[in-house]
Amino acid sequence: MKATTTMFPRARIPYGTWGSSYFPAWQSSPLAEVNIGQFAGEAMARILGMRRVPKHELEYLVIGSTIPWHWKFWTAPLVASCMGQRIPGYHVEQACATGLQAVLLGGAEVESGSKDVVGVLTFDRTSDSPVGVFPERRSHQRTQTIADVWDNFGFDPATGKAMIAAAGMTARKYKIDRREVDDIAALRYQQYFEAKDSGFLDRVLVPLDLLNVAGRPLGRVDDDTGVRQISLGALRAQRELDTCVTSGTQTHASDGMATLLVTSPEKARELSPRPEIQIRFVGKSEARAEPSLMPEAPALAVRKLLERLGLTVHDVKVAKNHNPFAVNDAVFTKVTGWHWKDLNHTGCSLVWGHPQGPTLTRVLIEALEEAVDLGGGYVLVFGCAAGDVGIAALFEVSEGGRS
Amino acid sequence: MTPTARHLAPAAGATVTATTNAMRTPTLETLGLGGVLDLFRRGALPTDAGALVERVFGRANERGSIVISGASGIVGAGKTMQLGSRLEPYGVRTVALDFPGAPDGIGRQYPGLVQAFGRQGAARVMANIIRLTYDGRRLPDELKALKPRFLLEAIPEILEIKREHYRVFREAFPGIEIRSVTSGFPARELGVGIAHPAFPHEINKVYETVESGPSAVPQLLWSLGLIPVPVSDDWSFVLDVLFCGITLAALRAHRATNMPYWKVDKLVRRRVGPNPFRAHDAIGAQGADFLTWSCLHHLDETYGALFTPTPELVERKQTGQNWYPPDHFRPLVDWTLSDAELDDFEVRILGPVYQMTALMLKERRGHLAHVNAIGELCAQFRKGVLVMMREAGPERVVKTVEAYHRLDPAAAKSAWHPESLADMGTPEWQQLYVNAEHDGTVGVVTISRESYGWDVDRELNRALDWLKGARIRRVIVTGDFHLSTQMVGADTAEFFDALDTLDAGLAITNGWSRTARRLWDEFEVSVAMVPGKRCLGGMLELLMHCHYLVAVEDARFGWPEITLPVLPGMEGCHWPLRRSKRDDWPRVLRMLLTGEAVRARDALGWLVDATGPIDEALRTAWDLANGRGSLPRRGLESGVLSEVPNDVPGLEPADSPGSAAGRAAIVACMMQSCAVDATRALPLQAKLAAEFLTSKPCRDGRVGAEAARLRGA
Repeated sequence: MKATTTMFPRARIPYGTWGSSYFPAWQSSPLAEVNIGQFAGEAMARILGMRRVPKHELEYLVIGSTIPWHWKFWTAPLVASCMGQRIPGYHVEQACATGLQAVLLGGAEVESGSKDVVGVLTFDRTSDSPVGVFPERRSHQRTQTIADVWDNFGFDPATGKAMIAAAGMTARKYKIDRREVDDIAALRYQQYFEAKDSGFLDRVLVPLDLLNVAGRPLGRVDDDTGVRQISLGALRAQRELDTCVTSGTQTHASDGMATLLVTSPEKARELSPRPEIQIRFVGKSEARAEPSLMPEAPALAVRKLLERLGLTVHDVKVAKNHNPFAVNDAVFTKVTGWHWKDLNHTGCSLVWGHPQGPTLTRVLIEALEEAVDLGGGYVLVFGCAAGDVGIAALFEVSEGGRS
Repeated sequence: MTPTARHLAPAAGATVTATTNAMRTPTLETLGLGGVLDLFRRGALPTDAGALVERVFGRANERGSIVISGASGIVGAGKTMQLGSRLEPYGVRTVALDFPGAPDGIGRQYPGLVQAFGRQGAARVMANIIRLTYDGRRLPDELKALKPRFLLEAIPEILEIKREHYRVFREAFPGIEIRSVTSGFPARELGVGIAHPAFPHEINKVYETVESGPSAVPQLLWSLGLIPVPVSDDWSFVLDVLFCGITLAALRAHRATNMPYWKVDKLVRRRVGPNPFRAHDAIGAQGADFLTWSCLHHLDETYGALFTPTPELVERKQTGQNWYPPDHFRPLVDWTLSDAELDDFEVRILGPVYQMTALMLKERRGHLAHVNAIGELCAQFRKGVLVMMREAGPERVVKTVEAYHRLDPAAAKSAWHPESLADMGTPEWQQLYVNAEHDGTVGVVTISRESYGWDVDRELNRALDWLKGARIRRVIVTGDFHLSTQMVGADTAEFFDALDTLDAGLAITNGWSRTARRLWDEFEVSVAMVPGKRCLGGMLELLMHCHYLVAVEDARFGWPEITLPVLPGMEGCHWPLRRSKRDDWPRVLRMLLTGEAVRARDALGWLVDATGPIDEALRTAWDLANGRGSLPRRGLESGVLSEVPNDVPGLEPADSPGSAAGRAAIVACMMQSCAVDATRALPLQAKLAAEFLTSKPCRDGRVGAEAARLRGA
């Protein structure tokens, strides 16, 4: 293993100050009815309160979301106000990479030396997503209307193809066997439910009670609703929508938020319930695959990152990804030689859904918790994003110098 | 308990009557007006408004005016209405003084004035108010002709500006009486006396007063029907230490836990009573935030970190931003707390409040009944702070404060006086709502709380025991002529537990009924005297157990229980029938089934035994208690009552299913408890009333709704 340096020597993620809402499937929970920016701000205050972090410790807020929400023009300062803290900040958006990119930018803010405590808050509501009306002089309709989530999934303006088509094309390029993809999906479900049953997810996910405008209970968000046990036989029996893609081997839209802090080392020790644990930023890379080969992009990004750092798959303790298609994992194995069985021990977005903005933040939080359970080590988080992009980042979890 | 020497509160100029014993000092004495027994013995109130107006504003032919400066502000405008309407009948002009550009706060009061006095009355009051403007330095020339004799200063809380204001007035009008409405500065800093009023200013009658020597001003306020409460000359007075204190505790809880202000408010309301943040927004955050900061800032300078304002308050004193989110951001994420979080929250709220109160006790800031009542009458405390502490007991209070210090170590370095809790067993602590006096023959029991609850019940029993221990066989039960200006019935918050458990309801209906029976059973003569404008519900049920009921002629009596609905469970469903003639039963039944009130003079002979103007009512009650006079005692039919009507001819239909159910239950309770003798009737009506408290109509009614609102926090 090559000795590595950290990309942000000053930045730490204080262990145990994070949290995520559950990700109920779209249109299945009270989250379908809220201003998601307001919800995220209020939920962050609650999560930090449960983690015994006074919100007045925050100096800056990086928010990430991909779907427009009411008053999004006001970005992070507004969300911070909903949290009850008047701090500055900005909004970042990189499709499904948002949840990781926002954390990396939080690290950059701390690294700049101007802040000691930066909040990272990502969220999205796919339910009832807004409809945009765009004057388009070059289109024959003159005006185009786009339902933000579904029309974007269905049409990459750069290639003219849908995301599901990209999954099928990538599967064909790598000659992926449908049976393997079903096996991957079956394992992912098994991993998720084992993590859930073990109580692991309770350390990451926070049940939240919602109120209606009259201040009366609207409902409790305490489950990744829409996720059901599915057998391998049932997966095998599903109709193929494109090559190796069925409804069971792709993710579903959901709603939610996730948050963590990025701080200076001193503040991390002060705010974390386990100050002996240190979480550092090691490195990051991004890659863009050829047109409509999006599932391949994360593997390219990981390969690039590990090569640059001089590491191999054997150096990594925990690897976890955003995999909207099970095809992603099959391709990852083909590209990196890293068996898909060694990924996603506590579940992944293929199973628990994909609210876009917060997806990779939850992936990261779960991965860091898992690494702490394992006594530390390198944590690799990666995923794909619209535009055939892949993103990967490596973190190091050490406990009292042990890693 | 044994008779004690009268305890004089530090700010009181008390009059001690050598022949009277009292459980503790009557609060009236703190105004220099003697004890309540003295009123009855004298057969007259100790002073009257006419004489006091003359002392303060001069004789009728040279009557001066009252000037209220800062009259367009929230306090000034409210007090212009309140004092203006009360002084107008005495020919005292009210001068409302403010800057030329001040927004019109007085005009906004007019609808309330119309509601209180009718159009003609409101027009008369407004016509008596002269609005003048000035530039802050030079008083308007017209003022001289109005002969200002009293200045009530309600200008911003800036010491130098206030002092300069007084200088200008004293220079122009030597000898003018000046009082400041300040909520923070002691009189010694200002150089004038204090008349600190409580919100809402147009209707709240309470004024904390600080006088440097004998003065007619607090007595004048009292004679005008207001409630002056003498307090010591310390920073921020009692009300603001309590209210700003609980606001600060709420702010610190927010700061430590991230809990949003609205949720903190709900939990504070559930545990203590006030909504500190909502109250600031309702008063007007711009001004209220500054006042709260100002009070805490000065307390911080004087007493240390226990009072240090949080950064959130410091920010808002400048911005005046509301604490509650705007309507389009109504709260979305609820805070469902674990038991541990709730315990933590309770310590964060009660710890500092207890510590601050212990400090005020150490400083002897006022009569304990006053300190307690200020929280209830002015700061929305459901129970006064001393009752809360008494309920907890000294050990738990100390433990709570110490637990708070572990969460907020800086507060431990501030004033903390656990030793001031040592007297918790004395009558001063134990009789916060009920006092008793006697002259060796007649006892007077005074109730200073407008609503009846367990604390009043226990204190009343102790007072009766105390009188019996002194072999007093003749007793008058009445208000305290000071803090309590009416008797409104049971404190419905006491019913909340009874909605769920029959035993809780039975404890109330049996227990309180037995207390009431003591007035009938255990004294040779018992006289109820209603000196205020109304006596309703449980208070009427209590007083109707006296052998005689005397009232001022305009007092109104009623059982509004049906409007909740609950049953009148202190024997209201049978006792008044047992004490009235058969011909009067329909009137009793009508009162019970409609909740309509009757005037004392219209209830003579069947509910009330004597009425008259206040002096006459006092004399009548005293004569009856002393066995003088020829008024026959209404008897009690203790056997089975027959042919009790179960309906009232011409009764309007019930206006809701709840009301219909309530009526049916009242009639059933009446029929059943009249069908047995009086001894068996007590537990029977208690059982029926308690059962109704657990019924759906009751839970769906106002008591149930209020309980749900409070518990839902």
